[in-house]
Amino acid sequence: MDVYLHLIGQGLAIGLLTGILYVLIALGLTLIYGILHIVNFAHGEIYMLGAMGVFYCYVVFKLPFAATLVVILLLSLLLGLGVERAFFRPLRGQWLQLVVASVGLSLIIQSLGWIAFGIQEKNVPSFFTGVVAFGGVRLPTQRLIAAAVGVVLVGLLYALVYRTKVGLAMRAIEEDEETARMLGIDADRVAALACAVGFALAALAGAFVAPIYSLNPGMGLEAILMSFLIIIVGGLGSITGTVLAGLLVGVLQSVGGVLLGAEAAYGLVFIVMIVVLVVRPAGLLGKA
Amino acid sequence: MKRGLLGLLIAALVLLPPLGKPYVLHVVIVILINVVYAQALYVIMRMGYLSFGHAGYIALGGYTSALLVTKLAITPWIGFLAGGVVAGIFAWALGAVTLKLRGIYFSLSVFAFAEVVNAAFRAFEVFGGPAGIAGVPRPALLGTRLNTHLQFYYVVLAVALVSLFFLYRLQWTRFGFTLLALRTRETERLAESLGINAARYKTLAFVVSCFFCGLMGAVHVHYLRFVSPFVFTFFLSNDLMIYVMVGGLGSYWGPMLGTVLLTGLGEQLFAAGYYKSLVYAVVLLVVILALPGGLISLPRILRRGGARERVLPVAADVTAARER
Amino acid sequence: MRRPMLALVLLVALAVVGLPAGVHAQKSFKVGAIVPVSGPAAAFGLGVQRGLELAAEDVGVFAVAGEKYKLEVVTYDTVYAPDKTVAAINRAVYNDNVKYGVIIGAGVHPPILPIIRETGFLDFAFAAAGRQITNPDNPTAFRIMASSDQLYQAYAVAIAEKLGGKRIAFLGPNDELGKNDAKAIKAEVEKLKAKGVSFVGDEYYERGARDFGPALLRLIAQKPDIIDTDGSPTGSIALIAKQARELGYNGYFVNSTAVLEAKAISDIAGKAGENIIALRIWASPPTKLYTELAERHQKKYGEAAPGTLWETYGAARWLVDTIVKAGTFDTMKVADALAGSTYAAHPFGAASWGGEKAYGIKRQIIMPIPAAILKNGKWEPFDVRSGKFE
Repeated sequence: MDVYLHLIGQGLAIGLLTGILYVLIALGLTLIYGILHIVNFAHGEIYMLGAMGVFYCYVVFKLPFAATLVVILLLSLLLGLGVERAFFRPLRGQWLQLVVASVGLSLIIQSLGWIAFGIQEKNVPSFFTGVVAFGGVRLPTQRLIAAAVGVVLVGLLYALVYRTKVGLAMRAIEEDEETARMLGIDADRVAALACAVGFALAALAGAFVAPIYSLNPGMGLEAILMSFLIIIVGGLGSITGTVLAGLLVGVLQSVGGVLLGAEAAYGLVFIVMIVVLVVRPAGLLGKA
Repeated sequence: MKRGLLGLLIAALVLLPPLGKPYVLHVVIVILINVVYAQALYVIMRMGYLSFGHAGYIALGGYTSALLVTKLAITPWIGFLAGGVVAGIFAWALGAVTLKLRGIYFSLSVFAFAEVVNAAFRAFEVFGGPAGIAGVPRPALLGTRLNTHLQFYYVVLAVALVSLFFLYRLQWTRFGFTLLALRTRETERLAESLGINAARYKTLAFVVSCFFCGLMGAVHVHYLRFVSPFVFTFFLSNDLMIYVMVGGLGSYWGPMLGTVLLTGLGEQLFAAGYYKSLVYAVVLLVVILALPGGLISLPRILRRGGARERVLPVAADVTAARER
Repeated sequence: MRRPMLALVLLVALAVVGLPAGVHAQKSFKVGAIVPVSGPAAAFGLGVQRGLELAAEDVGVFAVAGEKYKLEVVTYDTVYAPDKTVAAINRAVYNDNVKYGVIIGAGVHPPILPIIRETGFLDFAFAAAGRQITNPDNPTAFRIMASSDQLYQAYAVAIAEKLGGKRIAFLGPNDELGKNDAKAIKAEVEKLKAKGVSFVGDEYYERGARDFGPALLRLIAQKPDIIDTDGSPTGSIALIAKQARELGYNGYFVNSTAVLEAKAISDIAGKAGENIIALRIWASPPTKLYTELAERHQKKYGEAAPGTLWETYGAARWLVDTIVKAGTFDTMKVADALAGSTYAAHPFGAASWGGEKAYGIKRQIIMPIPAAILKNGKWEPFDVRSGKFE
C-alpha cells in the first residue's frame, strides 16, 4: 500500500509539472479562440518553432539564454501579427475555412521544418541536472524551473487580460463583438494582438520545454492534440478553466498512467473529455 | 448535357478498366473509396457540422467486417453491410448526445471518440492489438475469389456508385433540404418552430454519413486484405476534411472534385517526401484564401466577372463557430 | 488572383491526367527503396535509400546474359503507413516494373505480402519481428537485418547472465514491434527461471512520446535491474534514460533493434545515458568497408550515416553478385540462388542465410551481431558470447 501511495504522490507531482506546460500552450489557443473564434491548428507548430529557436540561437549560434528568449519572443509576436493579417483576417466569420486554413498553415510549417531542420532529433543540454526530493517524491530541477516560469507567465497573462485596457477590450470583444465595435474598440487590432500574445505563449512554452525533451519538427502535433482536449474540458475562451483543465489532464494522464498503464490513461483522458462535453457542454468553467 | 457527360463517365468507369494496368486500377480504386468517404462527410458538413474523427467510423466498419469474416467465417458481402450498420449504430449513440453541440465542440467530440476507438483496437488482443488483422479475404462471386485488381475494382465501383447515387438523391429529398435548413442555430430554431424535429434529422444525417463510411471502410479493408490501428488515423480524417473544403461545399460535385484532384496529385508526388505535404498544404491555402467556396465555385465566379464571393451556402456565420 | 488560380487548377488536373508515366530506360536494373522518407521514421528510410545509392556507385556496369546493366534506385515514400505502402508497391510493381526492393517495417508488411506472393517481388525486408514475414509461404522475402527472435534468443540470456541481472523489465513502443518483442523476451527469460531470473513487467509508450514518467514509475516500482527498451530510437531511449535516472533508477538499459547515436544520447541525457547496452552497434568498425562507407556517406550527404546504411549496402551488393552468377533477373530463380549463397564482403563481416529451424525457410540473414555499451559518451565493446540461431 505504501508503495502505491508513494507512486501516486510521484505521479501527482509529475502530472502537475507536465500540466503547467500544457497550460501554457493551451492558454494561447483559448485566447485566440476567445477573440477570433478559430481553433488554430498551427499552434503546435509555433510551440515547435519556439523549441527549435532555442536550439539554433542558444546551441548553434551560442547567444546567451536571455537574448535567445528575447529573439524568440519578438519573432513569435511578429509571426502572430503576420499570420492574423495574412490568413485569419481575410477569412473571419467563416469558421470551416478558418479551421482548414490553419490546418494548411500547420502542414506548411511542419514540412518546411523537416526540410530546413533535417530529420535528426535535436537537443538542448539541460541547464540544471539535479533532482530535488521532497520526502521520497523526486522532482528534476529543470522541470521545476520550467513549471515556475509557467506559473509566472500565466500570472502575466492574467494581469494583461484583467488589469490593462487592452485586456478590457479583449474581454469586451469576447463578450459581444458587435457592441464592442460600436463602442469604438478596434476589433481587428485587438484580434491581431491576441494572436501575437497567443503565439508568444506557445513559443515560450516550447523554449522552456526544449532542455527537458528532445526536439523534432513533428513535436507540435502531440502538444496541439492535448491542448484541444484541455480547452474543451476547461471551457473555450475561459482562462481559469484552461489552467484548471491543463493541470487536471496532466494529473489524469500521469496518475492514470501509474495506476492503469500509459495506454489506458491515454484513452481515459479522451473519455473524460466526451463525458464533460455531454454533461457540461460548455466545459468546466465555460459560460453556458 | 450534364446527364450525357455523367453517363459517359460511368460508361467509361465500367467499360475501360479491362484495358488498364493494375496500377491504374489501384489508383482508381483508392480514388473511388476516398470519394465515397468525402461525399459521406459532406452530408454533415452541408448542415454546418465538421468532423475531425470520421476515420473512427471508417475503422469501425473495417474492423467489424474483418472480425466477422476472419473469426466467424461470414461472407464478406454480409461483412460490408455489417460494417456500415455497426458504424451507423455507433454514430447514432454518439450523435444522440453530441449533435446538440455545434461548431468546434462537435468536431472535437468526434475526434475524441475516434481516438478512443483507436485506443481500444490497439489495446485488446481480440481486435488483433497493434499488429492488426492480416489475411482478411476478398469476397467470392460464383465460386471465384475476387483477388485480382480488376475483379475487386468492380466490387468497389458497384458499392461506390450505389452509395454516391443514394447520397445524391438524398439531397433532393425533403430530408436533404431540411438538413440544409439546420445550418445554424437560428435556422434550426426556425425549422423547429415549423414542427421539424431537428435533433432527429441531425442524428439521422450523422448515421447516414457514418453508415457509408463504415460500408466503404469495410470494402477498403478487404481491398487491403489487412487492417490495423495505423491504417485509419487522424490523418485520414484530416485529409477528408481537406478534400471537401478544397473541392467546395457549394455543390454535390465539390467534394468529389477535391478528392479526385488531391488524391491524384498525391499519387504523382510519391517520392517527394516532405515536399509532398508542402505542395498539398500550399494548394490548400491558396484555394481557401482565393476561393473560400472551393474549386467548385470557380466557374460561377468567372461567369460573374470576378466579383469575389463571400456568402456561401454553408459558410457559417460567426455565431455558428461559437455555438455549442 | 484569378489567373494564377486557373493555372493552378490546370496544373493539378494535368497531374491527375498524366498518371502513369512509365518510362522504361533501357538496361537499368531497378531496385526500389520502398521506405519512409518523411514522417517520424524517415531517418531509417534515408539510410536505406543512400545505402542503395552507394551500392549503385560501386556496382557500376554489370552484365547479365550478355546485356549490360546499371543499378537504378527508385524511391517510394511509405510514410511508414500500411495503406501508403500498398500504394507504393502497386506503383513499383505494376507501373515502374520494379521487381526487387528494400521494404522497411514489420507493421506495413501484412498488406503487401499477398502482392509479393502474387507477383514474386523479391523483398529485402528491413523489419524486426519474425515469423510473420519469414515463413515458407514467402519464398521471395529475405530479412536483411537481425530478427527480433534472433536478437533475443542469441543475446537476452547472455546479457542477463553477464550483468548478473535478476529482474528484467520491458519498455517498448505500443505497436506491433513492441508487443511482439515483449513476447520474445518473456519467452527467453522464462528459460532462466531456475537461475532466479524473472520478468517483472512490461509497459508501452506511444511512438514519438516525450514523457515516459508514468510508465517508468510503474516499472521502477518493480525494482528491475535491467530495462529492455526494445527498438526505441535514439531520441526516445535518451529521454527514457534521463527520466528513469531522475526517478532513481540505477540499473542497465538494453536496446535491441534500433541503431543508436552515442553523441545524441549523451547530449540529451548527459551522465544518465551511461550503461545503455545496444545490439547492432559496432564500438570498433568490423571491416575496412564499414569505415569507408561511413566516411563516404559523411562526405556525400553531409551528416552521420543512419544505422540502416550498411545492411542495405551489403544486401544490394550481394544481390547483384547473385544475379550476375545466376545470369537471370527471374526473382524465383534469384531467390533460390541467393538463399544458397554466402557473402564474405558484407560490411559487418561474412554473411549467409539461416532460420530454417525457427522459420521453416532459409531467408534470415546470419552475420556477426555486435554489442556495445555506452561509457563516457562513447560506445565501448560489450563482450558477450552470443547464442546460436538456426
